[in-house]
Amino acid sequence: MKKVHLAFAATLLGATAMAAPAHADVKIGLLAGVSGPIAPMAPPMIDAAQLAVQQVNEQGGILDGQKLVTVVGDSACNPQNATDAATKAVNIEGVIAIVGPYCSGAVLAAANSVTVPAGITMITPSGTSPEISRLDDKDLVYRTVPSDDFQGRALARTLLERGTDRVAVAYLNNDYGKGLAEAFKSEFEERGGEITAFAAHEDGKASYRSDLAELAAGGADTLVIFDYGDGAGLTMLRQALENGFFENFVGGDGMKSDAPIKALGAENLTTFTASSPVGETSQALELFNEVFKAAGGDPDAIFVTTSYDATFLAALAIEKAGGDKTKVAEALRSVSDGRGEVILPGEWRKAKELIAAGTDIDYEGAAGDHDFDERGDVPGAYALFKVEDGAFVVDAEMK
Amino acid sequence: MEWLGLLNYAVFMAIFICIYALLAIGLNIQWGFTGLFNAGIAGFFAVGAYTSAILTSPPEAGRVGGFDMPVPVGWAGAMVLAALVAWPIGKVCLRFRSDYLAIATIGIAEIIRLVIKSEDWLTGSARGITGIPRPFGDLPYIHSQLAYLALVAGVLLVVYLLVERQIRSPWGRMMRAIRDNELAARAMGKDVPSRRLEAFVFGAALMGLGGALFAHLNRAITPEAIDPMVATFLVWIMLILGGSGNNRGAILGVAVVWVIWSFSEILTDRFPPEVAVKAKYIRVFLIGLMLQVVLRFRPEGILPEPQRGAAAKEKR
Repeated sequence: MKKVHLAFAATLLGATAMAAPAHADVKIGLLAGVSGPIAPMAPPMIDAAQLAVQQVNEQGGILDGQKLVTVVGDSACNPQNATDAATKAVNIEGVIAIVGPYCSGAVLAAANSVTVPAGITMITPSGTSPEISRLDDKDLVYRTVPSDDFQGRALARTLLERGTDRVAVAYLNNDYGKGLAEAFKSEFEERGGEITAFAAHEDGKASYRSDLAELAAGGADTLVIFDYGDGAGLTMLRQALENGFFENFVGGDGMKSDAPIKALGAENLTTFTASSPVGETSQALELFNEVFKAAGGDPDAIFVTTSYDATFLAALAIEKAGGDKTKVAEALRSVSDGRGEVILPGEWRKAKELIAAGTDIDYEGAAGDHDFDERGDVPGAYALFKVEDGAFVVDAEMK
Repeated sequence: MEWLGLLNYAVFMAIFICIYALLAIGLNIQWGFTGLFNAGIAGFFAVGAYTSAILTSPPEAGRVGGFDMPVPVGWAGAMVLAALVAWPIGKVCLRFRSDYLAIATIGIAEIIRLVIKSEDWLTGSARGITGIPRPFGDLPYIHSQLAYLALVAGVLLVVYLLVERQIRSPWGRMMRAIRDNELAARAMGKDVPSRRLEAFVFGAALMGLGGALFAHLNRAITPEAIDPMVATFLVWIMLILGGSGNNRGAILGVAVVWVIWSFSEILTDRFPPEVAVKAKYIRVFLIGLMLQVVLRFRPEGILPEPQRGAAAKEKR
């Protein structure tokens, strides 16, 4: 055992000595879920993050004209690999800040055992579990995606305002679906709504007809689905429509995907609405969409806006903190606190000049304004979308 | 600063190796010494992790506990409950042989995983359990890492010595006799079903302990950690590669597989960015390739089971 460790340490020392970089790049860690359950979602998210990095490098680089580079680690959506990837990013690569991991369980583990003890700031673009708000994180963990708690509650209030007070709820049994469903349920019932059925389902089944039959047995004509529109959510929606289990369908942001429109046809989705976070300054979102599309990306892919914002914010914070990793968290708050000159996605040169001049800046991102609250969360702005002419359009703002 | 980072990384890896070594030794007792094909390691790992989490975390509305008990109580509880869960399972399933036992245990591990994912009042379901205390967790980064390593290494050493002692004892001889020729062992008057059940329960308790150590390391446990890929099949690869029937082989297998897995990512990151992300899949391929090579050229593993007794002397 001891021998193994010694031999291993020797190899490690040797390899790192060889690989030591000669130039001083500024590194940020990108703990992506490259393999594992969300592998299909990861590539566009990585591309969006790389776009932010590319813009920084094209517009004068970071700090004294240094190059910003990302170190992509594979968190594989589980704590084992996430802590391993975070340890490498922090200790071997010497990153100044971390964007990721992508899954909530991985965020919790990596924050608790690596980044918080090491004093590294972490911004997750897609960890939505309410547990992340409760981390004892010394103010080092942030997210650019709203906690599921916010969206679930906002959706409950909006539905009640629109006069829907009896619904059945189906949710995917993971932290995403569950978090949304729980928040929705508690707010909906608290405000006098009635939930006739509340059931979890597993991903990847060929048929959800028995689940749907049970959900419909309660007599509600509206089904709320917290799932992904290109996964089990689509199957459920199709089978519910085919068999006429429900009349109205409401989804969370995961359901706001082009997959149902392509697979089921817009004409069949007239009673389908989905809530989704929207950028409050839509100009920022348009700007991002344009650039990302030009770079060959799909701006409608899930979590690309939050990924981009997390990376751009990390870069701004590093610039503001002068590259001192102990000041990144503080700087992150100051570049996004809603005070100062507005910076939109891609405006790196402007931001850099303002920071150098000592002017306050306020980043307004593609996914929202990102004014972090005391727990490092963003409240998020939501809208209810409906399908019109084969695309999603805003039906109503949500409060 | 550089060497401190390296040390941190090496310590983290060593902690991980110690935790997985407990799982591998547990499996070794079941498979290596007794011939029980348990493909449900993740289930016992999960029972241990969640038991310790519930016992030691602070009280939480809407779920059982936490009971805020001292950490050692949590670890002991993890072993006891994992053993208690294993007992009825063993009682029913150990009548199956090899493949059938594997199928049954996979199924049971999956049942445990789904229960954990769904039962809010018990495990917090998909949100998991947070706020689990980590021994020495309040020390600065490297100190806390070293202290935790000392703790898990100590636990591993004790477990290793006790298991070695047990395997060398008449009990261990009897287990090997049952594994190699069950009929002969039965003819000698050995109570085969009870012995097999003992090995199954004993191994499961160690897996539970491994789970508990893992939960405390991360101060949180979520269902993502008990994915069969990382909690069952990875352990199997480690044991087969290192050498089943040999505890040192089991530990070596864990170290080799984990080092390849973790270290190869540093190497793939040296590739240009366009391919670096795709290259991460090479890591999975490498582990598979290594297993193939070992099975082809050294099916008994890197450190094979030592020949014991008269047969070993004759061979010399």
